[in-house]
Amino acid sequence: MNPNIVETINVAREVAWLPWAVQYFFLIGLSYGAYLLSLPGIVFRRPGWAGISRLALLGALVCGLAAPVALLADLHQPGRFWHFYAYFTPTSWMSWGAFFIPVYLGGLLTYAWLAFRPDLARHAQSGGKLAGLAGLLAYGGHESRGALKAAALLAFVGAALVALYTGAEVAVVQARPLWNTPLLPLQFFITAFAGAVGLALLFNRFSVRDAAANRRMAGVLAATQVVALAVGALWLALGVSGISPVHAQALAEVGPSANWQLSAAWAVAATVLTLVLAWKWPGSGLLIGLLALHSAWMMRWSIFIGGQEVPKTGAGYYTYSLPLGPEGLMGIVGTAGLWVFLFILITTLLPLDRLAAGNTDKAAA
Amino acid sequence: MNKAFQSPDSAACAASAPASASRRNFLRGVPVVTAAAVMAPMPAIAATGKQQWAMLIDVRKCIGCQACTVSCIQENAVPEGSFRTVVSTYSVKLTDSAQPAGTYVLPRLCNHCDNPPCIPVCPVSATYKREDGIVAVDGDRCVGCAYCVQACPYDARFINHETNKADKCTFCAHRVDAGLLPACVETCVGGARIFGDINDPEGELARRLKEAQPQLKVLKPELETAPRVFYIGLDERFTGKVEGQGTLWKPRNLPHA
Repeated sequence: MNPNIVETINVAREVAWLPWAVQYFFLIGLSYGAYLLSLPGIVFRRPGWAGISRLALLGALVCGLAAPVALLADLHQPGRFWHFYAYFTPTSWMSWGAFFIPVYLGGLLTYAWLAFRPDLARHAQSGGKLAGLAGLLAYGGHESRGALKAAALLAFVGAALVALYTGAEVAVVQARPLWNTPLLPLQFFITAFAGAVGLALLFNRFSVRDAAANRRMAGVLAATQVVALAVGALWLALGVSGISPVHAQALAEVGPSANWQLSAAWAVAATVLTLVLAWKWPGSGLLIGLLALHSAWMMRWSIFIGGQEVPKTGAGYYTYSLPLGPEGLMGIVGTAGLWVFLFILITTLLPLDRLAAGNTDKAAA
Repeated sequence: MNKAFQSPDSAACAASAPASASRRNFLRGVPVVTAAAVMAPMPAIAATGKQQWAMLIDVRKCIGCQACTVSCIQENAVPEGSFRTVVSTYSVKLTDSAQPAGTYVLPRLCNHCDNPPCIPVCPVSATYKREDGIVAVDGDRCVGCAYCVQACPYDARFINHETNKADKCTFCAHRVDAGLLPACVETCVGGARIFGDINDPEGELARRLKEAQPQLKVLKPELETAPRVFYIGLDERFTGKVEGQGTLWKPRNLPHA
């Protein structure tokens, strides 16, 4: 900061991407991350992965269904969402995103339905809650591997496109140096995947408490934290050394701020803590799961809300205080509430224990 | 003392004559867009032969009175707490003067860039560049996603909480289309804002731009947005994000949306 210049009159621009946007990027990230985690057990039938993958697919489903609602709510004209489809604009990543989301969700829903059909049929037979609905949805309850693989492939294409567009959409904004770094999409992806592992760890903890699955996921989580730290170190090195002007500019914008220093220290500490716990005490599934989810959310909050606190022309920083209404806290709570509702609805038809147990005798019992 | 750091008195004295002259020339110039008008020696703008509106801001003549800020709000019904234009004001420590500090003023508005970063990002093509160079928003199409707000490097855009659409300076397109000057130009006390057709070599704007060429600057030139708002007396320290102490005023208790 130059102490010789004091800004005496200027205007503060409000954040225009609200906490709804943070929720969207968090949930859609968790969803595609959890989708990827569903592949080894369900599509590739890797031994020891069945329970993990089925829990992850549940997570992908719940997060994937809640995410677009948050996105819609972030529009200041939600009723005009159809304009995205009527006025396609190929130069805009957001415009492409409007088409990628249905591809992903279409693939994901079909894949999840095909994967869970036998479970729905079993639930219908057992006469549990909403057994009639489960029976209808099961539609015979057959397992069809070919269709399942095709749907999983469609979902994969959609997930890759969603991961690409959510990263690129933010990274192309030259006006915000903090966003305009080529590493940002990668950082979104890593934290999203780590968060998804965290979610599956929680599901495991609150269902069958499978220690082997917990250990396996802790190993994966530890690996994601190593990658996250490596990419973070690369980001910092590129900024400090000045090799990459965009990183240097990003660092220069936020480096002097005590708030940002705290955020960075917090992020590194949380990542290191998650890594050490996952590596040394893999049994701490609940804690590392929560930590990974927290890191994924905090990263997005800092990037979106913190990023918008950096004036593009004015001196210093804008100050943000979370409003309590729909444009702030209620957006966060509302999205969380929707998530809980969807979770309850889906786990009523597909009880967590049964999903976690996989297609085994345990599940039928 | 740097010429840009003027005391209010000297600036005000120098002001009123050029303001009215600029107005007269503008009004006189409107109907005479002829084939000869294609020559735009200053700055290099595609010679389309059509009107290309632009603004020159002579920072040396701005007295920081915010008359432009107020008239813009009045003219365009800008909601309380939002601004399409404002005169950013800075207190700058002086080393070459007996006086400890001088005031630096910098009128800001949409730069109506020739290469506007806000346009390609709009997911529904609601924001566009008119044939006369004005960057506009189609309010019937805008979904209020605020992607353009993020993409503008000048913090010139915002979400209007009354319309829930992207909002920004339009160069008062409704007035310009009726042969009038933008409200901020009309009310500028110091005559610091000169508006006109860059393609009209006889016009006040082109003439003044040509005269001022050596010291002509734009904001954030490194982004290559090709702004159509030019500055005379733009201090290097203020062309980008200002490095300084922020003491920002933020309106409180306003309804958000």
